[in-house]
Amino acid sequence: MAGLELLSEQGFRIDGRKPSELRRIRCKLGVFNQADGSAYIEQGNTKVLAAVYGPHEIRGSRSKILHDRVLVNCQYSMATFSTGERKRRPRGDRKSKEMTMHLQQTFNAAILTNLHPRSQIDIFVEVLQSDGGNYCASVNAATLALIDAGIPMKDYVCACAASYVSDTPIVDINYLEESSGGAELIVATLPKSEQIVFLEQNSRLHEDNLGPVLDLAVKGCKDIHAVLDQAVKDHVAEATAGSSIE
Amino acid sequence: MADDSRLARPLEYYRKFIQNDVRPDERSLEEFRPTVLNIGCIGTAEGSALVKLGTTSVICGVKAEIAAPKTESPKKGYIVPNVELGPMCCSTFRPGPPGDQAQYLSVFTNQVIQHSKCLDLEELCILPGKYVWTLYCDMVCLNYDGNVGDACVLALLTALQNTYLPTVTWNEDSECLETSDSTKIRLNVHSQPVSSTFSIFDNHILLVDPTKEEEDLSTGQLTVVTADEAICLVKKPGGSPLNDRQLAECINRAFSRSKEVVRLIHETLNSVER
Repeated sequence: MAGLELLSEQGFRIDGRKPSELRRIRCKLGVFNQADGSAYIEQGNTKVLAAVYGPHEIRGSRSKILHDRVLVNCQYSMATFSTGERKRRPRGDRKSKEMTMHLQQTFNAAILTNLHPRSQIDIFVEVLQSDGGNYCASVNAATLALIDAGIPMKDYVCACAASYVSDTPIVDINYLEESSGGAELIVATLPKSEQIVFLEQNSRLHEDNLGPVLDLAVKGCKDIHAVLDQAVKDHVAEATAGSSIE
Repeated sequence: MADDSRLARPLEYYRKFIQNDVRPDERSLEEFRPTVLNIGCIGTAEGSALVKLGTTSVICGVKAEIAAPKTESPKKGYIVPNVELGPMCCSTFRPGPPGDQAQYLSVFTNQVIQHSKCLDLEELCILPGKYVWTLYCDMVCLNYDGNVGDACVLALLTALQNTYLPTVTWNEDSECLETSDSTKIRLNVHSQPVSSTFSIFDNHILLVDPTKEEEDLSTGQLTVVTADEAICLVKKPGGSPLNDRQLAECINRAFSRSKEVVRLIHETLNSVER
């Protein structure tokens, strides 16, 4: 392979991980008081904040009202200082619009939308530092923020990316691995029921290899679920411990 | 019960507290909220800082780019501050282009930089007439709980003091720029502007560092920016009139705040010195 060696002979990746190893995840719920729900997540060097408002009355044009379910409104934005080269537009460019759409589709499938007809839920996601896997970190952060806001959902939504490098599937790819031109598979699942709510694959990947890569990505989602679940439990334990003193 | 009267009759609720020289969050009238600094939290930026003023949070990232200088000032670089108040930080902000308040704050932070002379733009010169640095300072408000102006100025100042630029030299033989990432130079910050905002309650009582609730109830505002030993900016955009004595009090408080903040920045910078 020319140029960068994504997988060393000893089987380690550029950042020293094993092929099936996730980056370190650190997360925190309820970081802000203005939003109804908020969360911060760090997956390796990717840092994302999410805030949720609602369910509230429809804002703006009344024509957007959905009479049988809630309107899920997302906004994905990247801070201008989040990437190596300064971003001219934090949002509104094609990439961010696409990301906004994807988030909207993902959460429409996971939120129990029929419980709040004629209302709106806003999900705002801000990428503070980007090192690949922005969509995945955004979904994971938004899930935590939705849980913090107490919005009924079918399950957690966990997202994970995977790639295929020198005959080995690798999970939770970083920016270098993402931009190396290899295949990229992004999947968002409901881990308990093992349902896939979002799947996207870019670049060429042999049909025979799709299975292993997908399995690894789904396994990654499950691992992420375990971490997120623990964070939620810790957060709830902390919140209830505070209230019992009063 | 207390919460009901706070929502239904906020002014009366506040008056009861202020009669006893205390605020609902247990602060005295001239006390700032606890200030927390986190320096260098964004690895992709040349300099960065996260500021928490109570629950108000602002993150500032400095990105440097090389640009061509203006013809009338061939040695001067640029500094471009920009404040973002997105829909994330508070439910009253709408998605879309920056609102009036965000633009006002961008202009305000720019004035602070200009008037305090904290940066010498000529130091941003790489090759006169050809290449200079442009510093884009983007301040993103993450949680809006009042007094974002002070938080922005503090975030900006701290981020600038933490900004390291790569050394760029002009190679005369090959006629191109050479960058060396290994030797980074810290940006020279010549003065330390600190902003203190007071909100006027019931036309005569001054509250320092107002929360969002206090800002909404206020009948006027006063901002004093000090740079080391000098006053560099005083802003009082309309509202209830103040007398000389009150103004002097504010300025005194602003100077004592300035000392507190400079000490805090110094301590934080020392604790993370790379």
